[in-house]
Amino acid sequence: MDSILKFDNVSKIYSNGTQALKNVSFSVNEGEFISVIGPSGSGKSTILRSINKLIDISSGEIYFDGDTVSVQKGKNLRHMRRKIGMIFQNYNLVYSLSVLQNVLHGCLGYMNGISGVLGNYSEEDKKRALSLLQELGMKQFCYNRASDLSGGQKQRVGIARAIMQNPKLLLCDEPIASLDPSSAKTIMDLLKDMTHKRNIACIVNLHQLDAALKYSTRIIGLSKGTVIFDGAPSEMTDDVIESIYGTSRENLMMGGAENE
Amino acid sequence: MENTLTNSDIYTDSGNLSPRKITVGCKDKNKFIPRFMIGVLLLAVVSLVYLNIDWLKIAGRIPQIGTVFFKLAHFDFGNIGLIGSAILETVSIAVLSLLYSLVLGIVFGMLAARNITKIKWFSVATQSFFTFLRAVPTPIWVLLMLVCLGMGPEAGVAGLCVHTTAFFTKSFAQSFESISDETLEALEVTGTGRLSVFTNAVIPAAFSQIIAWTGMRLETNFSECAILGMVGAGGVGFVISRNLQNYQYGTAGLAILFVFIIAYLIERLFVAIKKKIQ
Amino acid sequence: MNKKIPVIAKNQKIVYTAFIIVAIILFVLTSLYTKFNIFTLLKNSDEFWSFIVNDFLPPALPKASSIGGVLSSVLVTLALAMASTTVAAILAFFVALFGSEKISPFPKLAKYVRAVATFLRNIPALVWAFILFSSLGIGTGVGFVALCITSFAFMVRAFVETMDDVSNDSVESLLTVGAGFPQRVAQAIVPSCLSGFLSWFLYCIEVNIRASTIVGMVGGGGVGLTLFSYIKGFQYDVALSIILLIALMIIVVDRITAMLRKELQK
Repeated sequence: MDSILKFDNVSKIYSNGTQALKNVSFSVNEGEFISVIGPSGSGKSTILRSINKLIDISSGEIYFDGDTVSVQKGKNLRHMRRKIGMIFQNYNLVYSLSVLQNVLHGCLGYMNGISGVLGNYSEEDKKRALSLLQELGMKQFCYNRASDLSGGQKQRVGIARAIMQNPKLLLCDEPIASLDPSSAKTIMDLLKDMTHKRNIACIVNLHQLDAALKYSTRIIGLSKGTVIFDGAPSEMTDDVIESIYGTSRENLMMGGAENE
Repeated sequence: MENTLTNSDIYTDSGNLSPRKITVGCKDKNKFIPRFMIGVLLLAVVSLVYLNIDWLKIAGRIPQIGTVFFKLAHFDFGNIGLIGSAILETVSIAVLSLLYSLVLGIVFGMLAARNITKIKWFSVATQSFFTFLRAVPTPIWVLLMLVCLGMGPEAGVAGLCVHTTAFFTKSFAQSFESISDETLEALEVTGTGRLSVFTNAVIPAAFSQIIAWTGMRLETNFSECAILGMVGAGGVGFVISRNLQNYQYGTAGLAILFVFIIAYLIERLFVAIKKKIQ
Repeated sequence: MNKKIPVIAKNQKIVYTAFIIVAIILFVLTSLYTKFNIFTLLKNSDEFWSFIVNDFLPPALPKASSIGGVLSSVLVTLALAMASTTVAAILAFFVALFGSEKISPFPKLAKYVRAVATFLRNIPALVWAFILFSSLGIGTGVGFVALCITSFAFMVRAFVETMDDVSNDSVESLLTVGAGFPQRVAQAIVPSCLSGFLSWFLYCIEVNIRASTIVGMVGGGGVGLTLFSYIKGFQYDVALSIILLIALMIIVVDRITAMLRKELQK
């Protein structure tokens, strides 16, 4: 299997002095489903956002698909970004547009100049968007305004938009944190299913330990900006959990259950 | 802070058995309002004194107002062709300047919106410049354009455009800024260029607001345009002021009636559109 | 499949398309009628710019002896706006009470009150000024009356709408306790609508500051007249300073009203 993403000794210090990441190194292979877990402020978001250069790292290097991330600029950066899909906690759709339009936003990065500006989507793209919506069970809503959907439905549109990009890597920033338990399960199932079918590597930031254990092929545990665990879910012992969260597993599962 | 004050006040009120009147109002009501009203009244009185208006003279001429209105109401249909074309010209100037400003307003609004331009000093500079343009009333701009461009509808369109564009720039920038940064970020990480994000997400999201602002502005533009003639540009305002000065009250009255009817129709239209959008 | 897949719902598409078609048709018609051509304007832009650069820039101060006069004319404009808006607001408050069916003691007359207000409002202040100038002669007093008329009519409508929006339930409940008209006004309308009224009043001040400058230009006195006389005297550089002064005056007033409005809504 090929490595698609590589973190090499990455550190990030914010301008206010907070050290968010400390010498983080790991690499991601094609088709992996990785959960990044850790308490709030441990640097989960920073890891995700530095991959598509929403955040500039302070030292070290990130390599994505053969390119060095930190030197990408302008057009090259856009070309790199369109290979990376992203899903957000708050869905971040354009709520006054139709569901289909929101999904089609995923292919804007591939459209050249004027047709992109005018939103002249090709028929193939539209067909692909509709079949994606069908796969996600959302086809009947394709002409609804995105604002009329429920939270779980909005997140499905978010997934469709990301998959529409034909990404090699999917970044999910707390995808189920704003959802009720049953929608959260649907979304995680869909994520796992869709990325597995397309052999897309997927990195998910999660608060829910049980979801991480259930879905991931690999878990990265963060504490105060340092990677203190990197391995299969089966290797996740109670000791490891305690060292990540600073509290015992029982307390955590209670909290997790409440969260869901 | 205010709450503790209120509580202690109630305490003294109920604890104190002196025959003080029992107040019934809320304790924390806005004390600013009475002060504000007294201030306004004082200022108004001072202003009236400062203006030093000769009320007796005005009062003495009030009967003449009656005469003028009486004459105005006797419409003279002799010049209806002239009035009609003047009205049409006024409406055309108003609409054309609105359309030009709509396009300019979207462009400048994009430059002035902080979340889209992302160069803070540039947005602030653009906004300040348009605040200045907006602060000078339209007829002054038209007057200047008359000086620069000479008589004719060009001066009217250009002068109206200055103020209307400034208005649109501010309003549209506000609408554009109301789209959340996270949504813009979500589109940016798909590798979409800045301009495509703007046309595909920001404009559609602000579309209904753009329509509402445009409708509102049409109302203003028409009434501004109707008075342009009075400072020297063409259109119906010129017909009104000219005929009033020449004591052709019948023609002036008819022109004023037309202005009223069109302004009223635009207002109704706008109310109807607003209801439909909501 | 030959048919194109639509991206948005059909009825929405109709709205967008209609909007664009109407805009284009209007553009063509009005361009033809006014013979306004953006390209001829751009072609002549050299002249335009040289005029601005040579005649307007840099802004120059008026003669030292007339600076005092300019400043006092600004005060006249401010006073005109302040006084006319306040008088109009007081009158509008009482008339508006009769303009709302729910509150007026004579509900049948409410429609007519509103109709008169609509008529007065839809004729621009400057037209009123001209009518009054032709009957009363020019002067500040006439400018005052002209401003009063439009702001009065505007506030009648605004106040009636505020009352209709805000106080429906409270008026009804006071009606059921058997309160009379003055009681209803004092106990239900004033407390619930006052801050709304004052907010409209502030808006009217903003409008009238601009209007009083303009009414001044055609004979009402104040800074508008000063500007007009400099432009007529071809002293464009001085005129530019006065325009800057007007802009400053209006920006300051807008800032103050914005601050007061915030305070009112607390």
